Amino acid sequence: MRNKKILICDDDRDILEMLEIILEDSGLDTFTEPDSTILVDRIEENMPDLLLMDLWMPVITGDEILKTLRSNDGIKNLPVIIMSAAQDGKLIATEAGADDYISKPFDIDVLIAKVKALIQ
Amino acid sequence: MSDSEGLPLMGDDPANIKLLKAALDSSISGIIITDNNQFDNPIIYCNRAFELLSGYEREEVIGRNCRFLQGSERDQKERELIRKAVLTGKPVTVEIRNYKKSGELFWNELYISPIIGSSGEVTHFIGVQNDITRRKNAEENLVYERNLVEQKIQSRTRELKENQEYLDSIIQTIRQGLIVLDPQYRVISANDFFFKTFKVEKRDTLGKSLYELGNGQWNIDQLKTLLEQILPTNNPVLDFEVDHEFPHIGRKLMLLNAHRIELEGIFKDRILLAIEDITEIRAAELRKDDFLSVSSHELKTPLTAIKGYIQTILRLLPSSIDPKIMAMVKKSAHQVERLQKIITSLLEMSRIQSGKLILEYEKVDLDTLIRNVIDDVSISRPTHLIEIEGTIKKPVYGDESQISQVLENLISNAIKYSPGASKININLSEVSNYAKVSITDYGFGISLDDQKMIFDRFFRVSTIQKHFPGMGIGLYISAQIIKQHGGTLWVDSEPKHGATFSFTLPLTTERKDAE
Repeated sequence: MRNKKILICDDDRDILEMLEIILEDSGLDTFTEPDSTILVDRIEENMPDLLLMDLWMPVITGDEILKTLRSNDGIKNLPVIIMSAAQDGKLIATEAGADDYISKPFDIDVLIAKVKALIQ
Repeated sequence: MSDSEGLPLMGDDPANIKLLKAALDSSISGIIITDNNQFDNPIIYCNRAFELLSGYEREEVIGRNCRFLQGSERDQKERELIRKAVLTGKPVTVEIRNYKKSGELFWNELYISPIIGSSGEVTHFIGVQNDITRRKNAEENLVYERNLVEQKIQSRTRELKENQEYLDSIIQTIRQGLIVLDPQYRVISANDFFFKTFKVEKRDTLGKSLYELGNGQWNIDQLKTLLEQILPTNNPVLDFEVDHEFPHIGRKLMLLNAHRIELEGIFKDRILLAIEDITEIRAAELRKDDFLSVSSHELKTPLTAIKGYIQTILRLLPSSIDPKIMAMVKKSAHQVERLQKIITSLLEMSRIQSGKLILEYEKVDLDTLIRNVIDDVSISRPTHLIEIEGTIKKPVYGDESQISQVLENLISNAIKYSPGASKININLSEVSNYAKVSITDYGFGISLDDQKMIFDRFFRVSTIQKHFPGMGIGLYISAQIIKQHGGTLWVDSEPKHGATFSFTLPLTTERKDAE
């Protein structure tokens, strides 16, 4: 059985790299994308098993991406976890149709648990 | 003068003389007669009434000039009138200040009538005297009272004028448009700031209906309904917002407050309408909200990276690593946790301050939540044994993470401020339709004075602040969170005997905001 593929999207490259390290260490395949404007293309190209995505990103925000995904037949069922340091992040993520939410800063144990719960 | 009683000119018939004397003595007016032919015009007769009036016996006055009655007041202007009358031989009536034998002052209404002799010269004067002291006093009192009233009126008028000017200056200085309306909603008066705010003239405003001012900006059905309620019901219009494109000044957000004018409980047919331009204030509030949310994001993003990397390092470090390095990384992780809590608290406090604390309501099993929090706290602070009594079976409706934060804060405080003790007691109960949680420690306790301020922002008990780190916002936030849930947080304590912090939360399945 192939490893599950996680697409991570965050405009902060240090956070992106940190998430890549810990998810890989947990036995998951990851690929990353710091630029949200090309994120939908990358999803369609690579068909990940889960999208872990920041909310506040330049040009296109996480909730906008999510709305595009949910209205796109081919990828509308992709599990999505939104992460954010914004106070109203959970509300926005839930309304946009996220499967789960984690507020920044997080404990990596909690993050790994949430990711694993959604891809099983 | 052969008559021993001193009655001259009365003929020689003794019977007549006796009769006349009796008549004079029965008069209620004092009567004296002076002899102008003798040196210094001496008194030669006085009747009984004069004796009673002056207090002098007849023998004490016979032979003296009348002026002795004036005591030391010899410069009264009435004397001049008397002197002229004596010189010209004409009658005169004066009111003169005289003194009784006892020294007591009395007002004497004196009528002086000359007796003309056969050769035309004045031979005698008859003085008829009445004590008019009471009348005089009454008159003087009247004048005094009148003056007093006059003075009072003057001072009251001055006061009123000052008050009016004072009020006018307040009304003119106030940075709010104020207009007074009559029962037909016509503008009776307006302050300068009103004209300045709307860039309008008095002639466009005074006497006009409120609803026809400007481009009909106040002609709003909802506002009309509210204004119509003011005079009959005394229900004020509070914080009514009008967002409108006004003539001369463009689009503005105006805040309206209107009240019935009452003076000392007397209902006046007037409405005071205060209009405040809150366009800038609202914009500043929005900027502040934006600032809060941006700063939250900007503070937490780097912390996410630091915390994530430290936790990753801890995971990836081989078990053979030098324990010193492992300890250093763990300390870093601990400090990052601390920093995260401080940032969260500060941001939460700002949100509470601006009324933007967002609670996510859900059904909360308080009993389980408390046990979970105790488990977590026991791991990070293993110095105290935490004992629970009682249970809360019914759920509360609230924000689980916020209630959890309150519990963690109270239990951590209980441990932090009782370093000499080894136990914390938690009591759970259902009281009426509230869940009640009490957390008791056996530490320093809190004085009554400090208890009053302990839930204030940035307050720290002075005796402990140097020994324990903290910012004094934990209890403030906790109290605010509980308050927003419709509950109360309070403390019972005695210095040196520990403290019990208790809070209640409504046992309800529906959302219950305090505000």
